[in-house]
Amino acid sequence: RSQKEQCYSEQHSSLINKAYQTLLNPLSRGLYLLELNGVEPAQETDCDADSVFLTEIMEINEKLAEPKNEDILEEIETLIKVKQEELTKEVTAAFERDDLQEAKKLLAKMKYFANIEDKLKNKKIPS
Amino acid sequence: GLCVTRCPRQVVDHYENPRNVGSLDRNAKNVGTGLVGAPACGDVMKLQVEVDENGKIVDARFKTFGCGSAIASSSLATEWVKGKTVDEALKIKNTDIAKELCLPPVKLHCSMLAEDAIKAALADYKLKQDPGREESAKA
Repeated sequence: RSQKEQCYSEQHSSLINKAYQTLLNPLSRGLYLLELNGVEPAQETDCDADSVFLTEIMEINEKLAEPKNEDILEEIETLIKVKQEELTKEVTAAFERDDLQEAKKLLAKMKYFANIEDKLKNKKIPS
Repeated sequence: GLCVTRCPRQVVDHYENPRNVGSLDRNAKNVGTGLVGAPACGDVMKLQVEVDENGKIVDARFKTFGCGSAIASSSLATEWVKGKTVDEALKIKNTDIAKELCLPPVKLHCSMLAEDAIKAALADYKLKQDPGREESAKA
């Protein structure tokens, strides 16, 4: 196989992996759909309108920052899973009725929860 | 990465040893609380100020969950608002914060978040001082 062919194969393989990962995860999938529709993901700072939501995110983060407690971690993990599933359904519905602005708002919420998911994963890794 | 060659030691300290981490009593009349989030990266920032009877900020605290630059930006913000009047603190710009911390372009939004947090805290404080609001609470 020529060098050029191998290079193309590697690039395609890499692109397919990237595409697969993007489509597999609801958040990245949703953001990609926004992109395809020419809508930029949310950039503006969230403040007053979302204070209830942000307070919830703050509280979860604060709990997570406390010394490792298996029960609390499990509780948070379950909560996040439920929230993400709910949000995924809402995002799906928003896209189905072409409400891209609503989808954008919901995906922003999913991002906050996704960060908490990452922190949970790191907490589980034995230090 | 961090431009340690350009940044003086005290600046790097905001990343490694952030100042004023904590909370003030959000129910106190002279405390303003700002809670902001950056949807693109999922960072959340809470900044609180305590204002004296002369309109001067005498204490400030923050809690930030996000990247090192967001934490450093809010740490610096709390240091900067202390000793300033409410109106002076409103003049703090994200560009000043970014410059002071030598933030790379990709982290400029962190300084913007800190500026928004300051503004939100001061707006909350002002709202609480509104005599009209107190009247309707009494009625």
